[in-house]
Amino acid sequence: MYLFQEILLKYNFSDWFIFIAGLVFYFILITIFIIITVLILVLFERKYLAMFTRRIGPNRTGIRGCLQTIADSFKLLFKENIKPANAEQFLYFISPLIVFIPVILLWLIIPFTSESANYQSQISSFLFLAVLSIPVFGVLTAGCSSMSKYSILGGIRSCIQIISSEIPVSLVLVSVVIFTGTLDLNNIINFQSGIFLNWNIFPNILGFVIFFICSLIMMNRTPFDFPESESELVAGYHCEYSGMKFAMLFLAEYALTFVICTYMTALFMGGYNSPVGFYLADLFNLNNGFDYILKNIEQLFWISIKTFLLIMLIMWIRASYPRFRFDKTLELCWYILIPLAVFNLCVEIFIKYLRGIL
Amino acid sequence: MINSFFNPVKELFRGLYITAKNSLKDNVTLLYPEKKKNMNKFFRGKIQYIKENCIKCKLCQRVCPSKNTIQIDKYYSINYAQCIFCGNCVEYCPRQALILTPNYELASENKNDLIFKEELI
Amino acid sequence: MEKILTDRMRINIGPQHPSTHGVMRMIVDLDGETVENVETVIGYLHRGMEKMAETSTYIQYLPIVDRIDYLSGFFCSYAYVNGIELLMDIEISEKSKYIRTITMELNRMASHLLWLGCFMMDLGASSPFFYTFIEREKILDIFENLTGNRMMYNYYTFGGVKRDIDKENLYAIKKFSDEFVFALKDLEELINYNPIFISRTKNLGILEKECAYAYSITGVNLRASGIKKDLRKDKPYLIYENIEFNVPISENKDVQARYILRIKELKESNKIVQQCIDWLLTNLNNKNIITDVKPLTLKPEGIAISEVESSRGLMQCIIYADGTLNPYRIKWRTPSFYNVQIINEISKGYLLSDLIAIFGSLDIIMPEVDR
Repeated sequence: MYLFQEILLKYNFSDWFIFIAGLVFYFILITIFIIITVLILVLFERKYLAMFTRRIGPNRTGIRGCLQTIADSFKLLFKENIKPANAEQFLYFISPLIVFIPVILLWLIIPFTSESANYQSQISSFLFLAVLSIPVFGVLTAGCSSMSKYSILGGIRSCIQIISSEIPVSLVLVSVVIFTGTLDLNNIINFQSGIFLNWNIFPNILGFVIFFICSLIMMNRTPFDFPESESELVAGYHCEYSGMKFAMLFLAEYALTFVICTYMTALFMGGYNSPVGFYLADLFNLNNGFDYILKNIEQLFWISIKTFLLIMLIMWIRASYPRFRFDKTLELCWYILIPLAVFNLCVEIFIKYLRGIL
Repeated sequence: MINSFFNPVKELFRGLYITAKNSLKDNVTLLYPEKKKNMNKFFRGKIQYIKENCIKCKLCQRVCPSKNTIQIDKYYSINYAQCIFCGNCVEYCPRQALILTPNYELASENKNDLIFKEELI
Repeated sequence: MEKILTDRMRINIGPQHPSTHGVMRMIVDLDGETVENVETVIGYLHRGMEKMAETSTYIQYLPIVDRIDYLSGFFCSYAYVNGIELLMDIEISEKSKYIRTITMELNRMASHLLWLGCFMMDLGASSPFFYTFIEREKILDIFENLTGNRMMYNYYTFGGVKRDIDKENLYAIKKFSDEFVFALKDLEELINYNPIFISRTKNLGILEKECAYAYSITGVNLRASGIKKDLRKDKPYLIYENIEFNVPISENKDVQARYILRIKELKESNKIVQQCIDWLLTNLNNKNIITDVKPLTLKPEGIAISEVESSRGLMQCIIYADGTLNPYRIKWRTPSFYNVQIINEISKGYLLSDLIAIFGSLDIIMPEVDR
């Protein structure tokens, strides 16, 4: 983004134009990045699930099916846009956007490298959670405006489960913030620099487990995929959506999966820090511009690898477990996870206190 | 008390272990159009008519469960779109004028392709 | 404070719904997500199996019979063939009895495996579906080599079976049944003690004894309510007298009990298959598989009721023959038709997701209900 802004500066544009143009440029860049990531992710999930069930997975389009998701997305683009006759016109049209745009905004908050041009904020860790709760409105309106009973049930389920999962997540985040002493994601990541023993996951393993379970609920992944539980509600809230609008909901879902995993990586697994304590770029001692670029690429590599490991774990869980019952999930959140999160908060404060003494 | 908490956790991990174990086993998918399954000689696929053996006793017509699959007038015709491949006609044919082939690929764009016809003299 | 308006929601589950296994329709009244009333609508797959019998000869009707229950065709086939044999006083040979038993037990295993996969799919687990299908596919391969088709066998005939079971088939069955023990162990470890599975199935869809009697429920669903009734033990047909096996029962009456009983039945069926293989391997030279009856000119007379314990329960075929080439009337008593009526009784007060689990646990096959 800065590079783009510098180019614009040479042509004597006004400052506010450069600022907005830079943001738009970054926004477009992120959107393209999301689409590419999701295409890879969907293909990967299909192949990965096939591996668990002793199948091959997609293997027709391209070499070993590598173009399958691209073909699928083109198919969705050219599909007819079917709209239920008695659907709420405006809400039905707007709700995929309500789901999709906050997800892109989430990507702007996450620092992917130490020099990345994301939205710098003092409270970015909480800002993430705040933005994360917006897509649920979209899901709810999508469910209710379709005027299909399955969709309404799916939308309401999604709303209820996000309310119950948000509280333990916030409590765990508070424990992380108290431990690191900062609300800024960049500073939280820098706090964990060095070898992997410095990661937050080790003093905060209980918090990580709670966060992981709640993130499954927030991402609507098995075993908590109630809003779209196939065997009960057919397709849940996106039951009546087709074509481009469905593609948008689908894209948002996978992008959300990826971004929440990145967030977890940043909070607990050292973000873009290298697990061995030094960067390969530092070893060469190049001391020129190339060194700086290499370092950024390496940081991007590490954060992607860590995120991918988490996503693999999530897909592995999907392959293994049946779905929870809806009311049991609420019980799990309110009766088990919230007390545990409070307990974890106390433990973290105690550890912080011990560290202060020693 | 402790057991009641840790046993479910243990079982959850065991579930993960089982799926991981299965993922290491060989694939079972058969890539259909490239690799085809070998059908044994008993397989009841497309029924073939051998004109030389036929004595026009119309027994095949009588034992056929889907009633007008086989029609014998000027032509001997078998409608594979109606045939349920039960093998009754082959079984009760006194002269082996009908034989089973393991050919099961009968999909066609045109319904008329599925009607076998041979002129009788 | 103004009272919140609550209204019941009437929702249609089926006929095109991923978890109604075919084309069943349930009209469900929901209060929030609690099921208040379930109305079952059947008949979307009616093919007139009983009427078809009246216009066809006995031999013409034989291949159609397999289609009554496409997942366990041998049972329907046996019920019909046995009815004709009762009418004509045909005694079938010992070897054909053994072959019929082994095929029927393998078929029971295939049917239960498919049920297990679909049931887990209803609960939201995708992997067990593929694992059970891999095993089921092996059984279907055996059937294909033995009978010539994978699902519509047309293998039994009046007075025996159509083709002899040879050494290769027997060894294939033996290999399958030895390996199946381990495959089933894997599946059990994956599902049985999984806390999510237990929380989804325990104390759910409780079927009381009186209710089960009143609705004439049969099969595993009856035995899960603590009533020990199995035709193979109570009124042994074929060679079930000579074979050692248990009829597992459970007192828990819930969905989990039905699941556990079906897993146990898989093991018992495997035992029966192994005993049959032992007998058949010692009698390889015995070629006496069919009693000659001249099936083309069959003209039985009288009424015969033949019964068989199919994979879903008690299956009866009542044949009213009047001495002509066509049967006067054939009546099928199919177990799923009776089992399907219980849903309203046992799913009241549970959640919508429980309704799916309860419906899945009953093992209902729509072509069998509608015929």
